[in-house]
Amino acid sequence: MPVTERYKRQVLHWGKEKQQQLEAATVLVAGVGGLGATVSQLLTRAGIGKLYLVDDGLVDWPDLNRQTLYAETDIGQPKLVVAKKNLEQINSYVTIELLQQRIDAAFTCPVDVSLVADCLDNYSSRFLLEGTLPSGTFLVHGGIAGDQGQILTLQKGRSQSLRELFAGSPQPQGDIPVTGAGAAIIASLMTNELFQVVFGQPKLLNRFLVVGLSDLHLSFLDV
Amino acid sequence: MIKVEFYSLLRLLLKLDKLDLPAQENEKVGQLLQRIQRQLPTPFLHKLLDDNGELIPGTIILINRRNILHLDKLETPVQEGDVIAFFPPGAGG
Repeated sequence: MPVTERYKRQVLHWGKEKQQQLEAATVLVAGVGGLGATVSQLLTRAGIGKLYLVDDGLVDWPDLNRQTLYAETDIGQPKLVVAKKNLEQINSYVTIELLQQRIDAAFTCPVDVSLVADCLDNYSSRFLLEGTLPSGTFLVHGGIAGDQGQILTLQKGRSQSLRELFAGSPQPQGDIPVTGAGAAIIASLMTNELFQVVFGQPKLLNRFLVVGLSDLHLSFLDV
Repeated sequence: MIKVEFYSLLRLLLKLDKLDLPAQENEKVGQLLQRIQRQLPTPFLHKLLDDNGELIPGTIILINRRNILHLDKLETPVQEGDVIAFFPPGAGG
């Protein structure tokens, strides 16, 4: 089947030029859990050129309610190995590189990355990731707890940093409540924004989109 | 006026997303917080301040887009035209 047939429905929406921009783009997805599994899947289905996936976790039972790339048969397997296998089955045209490691002070962002999806689940890793990014890199942040979530785009060196903005936000103790639908909604909004960044038209640059899932409320907070 | 904005769980708690208050001379964030509480029927300061009146981590407080922890915290001056936002973000992913 020709590639043009695969992307036919979305090209009807955004046109050939933007599809070409997507196919030339590289995105690093940091954390392939509740947000990252869906973000990487949607990017893959859309035909992103290259994905770097960063995670060091193993698939566990509590992941299965929301981490859309994993199944019961994957329990105990490295998330990235399973993710790559499934993503390649979804779209073999996408290049997928695995960085099976924690994001710590030793982490180095690949040189061909200019767009990062922060799908991490803790502030310390987010701040470390941000610190490793070259100036000018776009970072689309997502976060969720219960029925509240947020998405924000920053550009390293031109925006305030996550570390500045989230100062005074401690990591909650224990597991953070997250539903499958909630994670999928925030991940989908993140992916939509990632597309917009690739197209050169970010909608949430220096602007939180705060999502209230319980009463279907959206609000913006400029930063 | 000072524009006060509530986001996420604070918006749900207070059933309110915005509030305009007249500016007062030489007012600081800590004083403004007490004034906001007096305007609202629902207690919320216990979400922001501990028994000693110190900030409880968990809610970002931004004045004109800047986190007050990088300014003078509760001693940060609040002036006519300022926008102060209260946002407890979600940490999970």
